[in-house]
Amino acid sequence: MPKVVRSTVIDQPVDAVWAVLRDFNGHDQWHPAVADSHIERGLPSDRIGCVRRFHLRDGSELRELLLTLSDADMAFSYCLLETPVPLFNYVAHVRLAPVTDGDRTFWHWESRFDTPAGRERELAEMVGRDIYEGGFAAIRAHLAQGMAA
Amino acid sequence: MCRAGRLALLSKVDSSDRIARPMPRIYVSSVIEAPPARVWERLRDFNGLPRWHPRIRDSRIENGEPADRVGCVRDFHLQNGDRLREKLLGLSDYDMFCTYSILESPMPLSDYVATLRLTPVTDGDRTFIEWTAEFDCAPEMAEQLVVGIGQDVFQAGFDALKRQLAS
Repeated sequence: MPKVVRSTVIDQPVDAVWAVLRDFNGHDQWHPAVADSHIERGLPSDRIGCVRRFHLRDGSELRELLLTLSDADMAFSYCLLETPVPLFNYVAHVRLAPVTDGDRTFWHWESRFDTPAGRERELAEMVGRDIYEGGFAAIRAHLAQGMAA
Repeated sequence: MCRAGRLALLSKVDSSDRIARPMPRIYVSSVIEAPPARVWERLRDFNGLPRWHPRIRDSRIENGEPADRVGCVRDFHLQNGDRLREKLLGLSDYDMFCTYSILESPMPLSDYVATLRLTPVTDGDRTFIEWTAEFDCAPEMAEQLVVGIGQDVFQAGFDALKRQLAS
């Protein structure tokens, strides 16, 4: 079962980063791969068990279920329900922590999943680079833009 | 008295006593510009404080035990001569954390448990370092102890590691 871990440091206070990330339906506002997103059945996006249905820029549709959300720990986890990419049993965890030395943010993003045999490396690289590292860069730009505005 | 009533009374007595007041908590974190393995190599030695922390003068492990034996006690002195004894409660090379308690110190506190934890920053092969502690003390001493330990021990340790390990 491949495990993907990516982490970075964002030069913004942890509250500012968490305010963006805690919205399970907000990723179409900042992640470059996500074209649109909505929460099924009109549920609030911070209700555990809610499902986000979204499209990537290439038109493919995904559904993900919010498993946990904690404002106290600044963390959430979710799993994939439907995807055109062969990622099975995919569960991801996102966690923020304050870097008190400089009022910055540590951001940890990891997941485990199954893939068809032989595609582990390719899909792990895709998730780590395109989704996680792409997300880090996008949040950096998104928050820097907010500061400038 | 019914069972539920007794339980409610017990919890009321407890909560009006010291349990009602949250324990003071210290949290200090930083980023060290060195790979986690290099930082951990230094921190995992429970007897190694004098090697990297500028406030520690000397240290020994009691009873000749190995420094990575959980339960061992380090007996050390600060540069100002103060003596402390601390017990190793947990050590993980896999998760890169070390948990310990204070057995004896000149500080007016009790039930002090601290954890030092490293997490890799994959973006740049750096290290996220967190040092947390919880303890009990007289309410009027809490702020001074939280700030004093947080700055003089935890942040001062991070600053020393940054100087020593910056490549």
